[in-house]
Amino acid sequence: MERLRTEPRPDWREHVERDLGFVFHTIDDAPYWDETACYRFSESEVDTIEDATGELEQMCLALVDRVVASGEEAYERLRIPRSAWAAIESSWKVGEKNLYGRFDLSYDGSGPPRLLEYNADTPTALFEAAVVQWDWLEAFRPEADQFNSIHERLIEAWRNFGIGRRRLYFSSVKGHVEDAGTVEYLRDTAVQAGLTTDRIDVEDIGWDGRRFVDLENRPIDVLFKLYPWEWLVGEPFGEHLLTGVAKVIEPAWKMVLSNKASLALLWEMAPGHPNLLETSLEPERVPGRVVRKPIYSREGANVSLLQEGRVIAETSGDYGAEGFVYQSYAPLPAFDGNFPVIGSWVIASQPAGMGIREDSTAITRDTSRFVPHFFG
Amino acid sequence: MTALMKKSRSIRLVLLGSAGITLAACGDDGPPQDAQFYSSVADCAAVYDTATCESVKAEAEQKFAEEAPKFTRKEECEAEFGPGNCETQQASSGGSIFMPMMMGYMMGSMLSGGNRFAQPVYRGANGSAVMPNGGKFFNVGSFGGTGAGAANSFRPAAQVSQVSRGGFGQSARAYRTTSGG
Repeated sequence: MERLRTEPRPDWREHVERDLGFVFHTIDDAPYWDETACYRFSESEVDTIEDATGELEQMCLALVDRVVASGEEAYERLRIPRSAWAAIESSWKVGEKNLYGRFDLSYDGSGPPRLLEYNADTPTALFEAAVVQWDWLEAFRPEADQFNSIHERLIEAWRNFGIGRRRLYFSSVKGHVEDAGTVEYLRDTAVQAGLTTDRIDVEDIGWDGRRFVDLENRPIDVLFKLYPWEWLVGEPFGEHLLTGVAKVIEPAWKMVLSNKASLALLWEMAPGHPNLLETSLEPERVPGRVVRKPIYSREGANVSLLQEGRVIAETSGDYGAEGFVYQSYAPLPAFDGNFPVIGSWVIASQPAGMGIREDSTAITRDTSRFVPHFFG
Repeated sequence: MTALMKKSRSIRLVLLGSAGITLAACGDDGPPQDAQFYSSVADCAAVYDTATCESVKAEAEQKFAEEAPKFTRKEECEAEFGPGNCETQQASSGGSIFMPMMMGYMMGSMLSGGNRFAQPVYRGANGSAVMPNGGKFFNVGSFGGTGAGAANSFRPAAQVSQVSRGGFGQSARAYRTTSGG
């Protein structure tokens, strides 16, 4: 694994906007898509990441099974509200399918990749990984390979989802370009799988007393939401969603995995697993330097680095009300002063590819840059 | 060789790229959420002032004359709208035409300062309450009986009077951040 400096295509902005519809390549005047560099992997390094990803996904599915079997006690440790328990259980027991997830891994090319966290419910940076870096590879080094069959696997996953002729609504919050772009990309793949689709902002979803409806009052039977389950269940329509009146993607059982307390439960289930970092709900249980993360948080907010209980670095944010998990500190590898995190994708629970986000600090935030990769 | 590779063989986009992102929902000419059915000026005057009610009724009657289906034979009209639910109008050419019966009108957006909404409502097939607007027809409720007397038996369709929105999305505003992660 090495970081190479590369010459950006002179017209890359115009190209990715016009030909790919990639509109959020620059965020708040700072580059987000960054092709001044790329990462080169060996084939065996990619195999290592792929195998670890498959194994982590299987462990996560096993954890959901354990949590559902154990019931109340496990849900309370995960800080999942009581109102959601039945929906989690029934969605798991009937085998509701899931579309995707992104494991964030710390990896430097030697030793096992370590799981920092699992974005099981609302992962983003999907379009960049699936399409933009693939397109870059075709221009930069078409004979090389890339760990990235995300696009093909998404189309295949939609074909097998069991949606049939029902209209599939894609939703995200109003006024957020990145979320809208991610959702529109997913809709693109669903259309290619032959599904009938539509688009609605989460704020516009209506409830007519019996079912969810769109702006023309047509029923919403199948809803993809790029909006966290833990937010949905706490909002006024949450109780309706939890009745199962609409099929929701991701399914309700992803609530078990989309909060960081699940990292502690994973460690309890498989202590010492080479792809896991020791994690606990109690700070004194984890020796040495510890990273404290809110149980519910996004984009690296409210993360603190602790040394013997003392904060030595932290990020700001609005999260933490539900409590924290404490994870053994695994310093990210540095390449030319950059700290890459590997976002390794599962589509329909199968390893599908990866995207790398780099930051100039050791905590990856929403200011990070997406850097392409190749191997071989 | 390619078959063994870990990258997608080809990528095609049908919505993104040259096609551009389409985020806007299609136009919607259904009644506004606050729209209510009134069968008469007296009915309406219990809520709004009489002059407003009369002017909305006149507007709805004019639209009814322009937009409601017209038949040259009464049987054709009743086949569509049910026995006793059609009435005769004098055509401008001098002959008679048959039309469904206007039972009342939907009015709304009166208090919110938006554009005033006024559309006629007539009795459609199977007791449905039909509201034409912009070349489309909307099922806004139902009538319990037949003939002109059925106007008082209007029941709103669930989606007209009872749809609530805004039940999702509050957390995103509270946390000032993206939903994805």
